[in-house]
Amino acid sequence: MSPKTPAVTNLLCRYATRVASALLASCALSALALGQQSPPLPKPVPKRVVSVMGFQDLKKNEKCDVSVGASSLNLKGKFASVEVTIASVEDVLTGDDSARLIGGFLGAMTSFAPYESGRFLSLFRKKLDTLTIQYRDTDGGLHGGILSMHPGEAIALKKALVAAGAHTTVPIDDTAKPAAGSTSGDQKNSEQKL
Amino acid sequence: MTLRLSTRSVLTLTLLLFMGPIAIRAQSSSTAKPAPHAVQVLKIASSEIKLPPAFEMAVYENTLEQVKKTGLFEEIYRDGDRRASNATGLVMLRADLRGFKKGSAMERQVITVAGTTSIKVHMQLVQPDGKVLLDKDVKGEVHFFGENMRATLNLGKSIAHVLKDNFEKPAASKKS
Repeated sequence: MSPKTPAVTNLLCRYATRVASALLASCALSALALGQQSPPLPKPVPKRVVSVMGFQDLKKNEKCDVSVGASSLNLKGKFASVEVTIASVEDVLTGDDSARLIGGFLGAMTSFAPYESGRFLSLFRKKLDTLTIQYRDTDGGLHGGILSMHPGEAIALKKALVAAGAHTTVPIDDTAKPAAGSTSGDQKNSEQKL
Repeated sequence: MTLRLSTRSVLTLTLLLFMGPIAIRAQSSSTAKPAPHAVQVLKIASSEIKLPPAFEMAVYENTLEQVKKTGLFEEIYRDGDRRASNATGLVMLRADLRGFKKGSAMERQVITVAGTTSIKVHMQLVQPDGKVLLDKDVKGEVHFFGENMRATLNLGKSIAHVLKDNFEKPAASKKS
């Protein structure tokens, strides 16, 4: 048995690199195939969004419930609600943005934290989708409402609005990646008017 | 005698120094500034430089809000408001986008001097007959704190500030 050992060792040494590279290649290929097979599932229409601005009666950055009816978009805040008729919507455009993970009052308080820890905390950011809705009131006045929501949800809400009859200058592109795929702070996923 | 004279001259000089600026200010305030009754804020025009849609609308909404806060105008109309055609003493506020640099809030946090977001517009206040009452470049920036969208609020504030400097309230609203 012992005289065979050097031969086996020699064989192993000879083919070790080949075996390793074959294994690596198969791993990489299977990972690629998996990635191609399971595209990210489209997100459902959000039920809760943040009204950044532009909707009368709703405060800036107020969280509200959103629903798309047959003829209107309804936003229900804590104290007030807004109904935007679909026929008055001139344009619906998606975009992306980012915000501090710890925001609001607590986020402001962290700026007083010792040893620059507030600055460190502000490095943690979350990605957001934005949906800009341009609509006219009964007198013809232009309003620009901005909603922010989780990545991938803006396109779902836009689809629901367009399906209900809202106009848009940028048609929905199903191949567009959600904001989660973009680098923070850029506007690669933002729609631009033609 | 010389001492008395010099005291007099010093007193006169001091008086002149103090009273001069007050007199100049009074004179400048007496030159009547235009006092339009109503304003129509038009949507920002961006022909060459593209502004993200959220920023475009945020500039428009923030300008409206800040113009309202100045209290200079009795009536404020939005872009396309049909009631504006019947308004008396109407002026239109136009803003044409001249520059946009989207910085990064994260960069601002890490390197304080980097990542500035800035929006530059050319603002005009025009009468319906086409006469230009005001023509100025205005900037809105975020240097240190706040998200990128804050530049739109700062731009609105700058526009309101320029309006305050160049216009005054109509006589009727002054009394109230």
